[in-house]
Amino acid sequence: MHIYIYDTFVSQKKNNSTIIKIETRITDLGLNGKIVRLSMLSSLGEVIQNEIKKGAKTITVVGNNNIFHNAINVLAYLKSLKQIKADIPLGFIPFGKENNSLALGLGLNMEEAACDTISARRIKTFDLAQANDHYFLAEALISSKGTSVNIDKNYSIEIMGQGEIGIVNLPILSKLPKEIGSNGEDGVLELFIKTKEGNKFLSFPNKNIKQSIFSFKDLTINNKTKKVLLDQTIEIAPPLKINISTEKINLIISKGLIF
Amino acid sequence: MFNKENEQINIKEAETIIGPSIKVKGNFHGQGNIIIEGFVEGSIKTDKFLLIGDKSKITANIEAKDAKIGGEVNGNVNVSGYLEINASAKIKGDIKASQISVMRGAQLNGQIIMGKNEEKK
Repeated sequence: MHIYIYDTFVSQKKNNSTIIKIETRITDLGLNGKIVRLSMLSSLGEVIQNEIKKGAKTITVVGNNNIFHNAINVLAYLKSLKQIKADIPLGFIPFGKENNSLALGLGLNMEEAACDTISARRIKTFDLAQANDHYFLAEALISSKGTSVNIDKNYSIEIMGQGEIGIVNLPILSKLPKEIGSNGEDGVLELFIKTKEGNKFLSFPNKNIKQSIFSFKDLTINNKTKKVLLDQTIEIAPPLKINISTEKINLIISKGLIF
Repeated sequence: MFNKENEQINIKEAETIIGPSIKVKGNFHGQGNIIIEGFVEGSIKTDKFLLIGDKSKITANIEAKDAKIGGEVNGNVNVSGYLEINASAKIKGDIKASQISVMRGAQLNGQIIMGKNEEKK
């Protein structure tokens, strides 16, 4: 059975007409299933767990980055507990104009148009990265200020300029040089450091951005004041151990997605 | 200066790039091409190509298949293939390489051992 889980904000009255269009399109495509509307009191984790126990074949979430990121976390967590089969795919119908960068990066269409992607059912398996107990699909970001990084317990990295540190699994938010070959399927993560070099001879900051790239499997990151932003969705405080998770995720993606 | 065309090819194929604002401490071992424009303390090892840029400062023993050195190196350099030393290079340490070229202006302080480079077992 197809399960559609609507995020809390999706069920607001102002969204009724869009929801009707999505549901009509789903019916037209023969993808009818059960609709679960999340409320302030309901838990996405419990909903997904219950529906899988009842025999869900596909979980599709309707909302923005938040519900998509959370659904990935729930599915990965349940897989780690051996509570579900590894092959249940996750669909995503992006909804609303804000906070949908993951959908944009994955090349998904919005709202009603996304139903055709679900119908085409192109399923791809991606690695997941893990930061302590949190899973993420795309990237983790933190300011370089005050951040220390240790890679594979072999060496540490000190960043002398101000900038940003990205740990990239799937390069759909931060674009890495193509030559690096990061694709979310290779079992390694990329550490990407962007620093802006100051220039004392100019009255404005030098816009020349210097980049550093390292591939790794295991990294620890620490910062006493700054937090790490996962998938542009949730902030968590270091220290963090970041590595490729043993769990993977099956996503229903657009045909046009090319890395 | 390094051949710009060659340098561009190497940058495209680099697995690791250490930028000018980055300092790496520890044993930095890679399997792909490495470009260093920053600072490294410890050891560097790669099975492929190593490029040490003109402004980089390395305090480490170096092992690579092929290498181009343009910066400051304090440590032994062990290259199984071809080593190219740029005019701006300052190397304090012993150098082993099968083939070597040194540009005018480079500063080398240490032994240079040429010929087939047998790996220690």
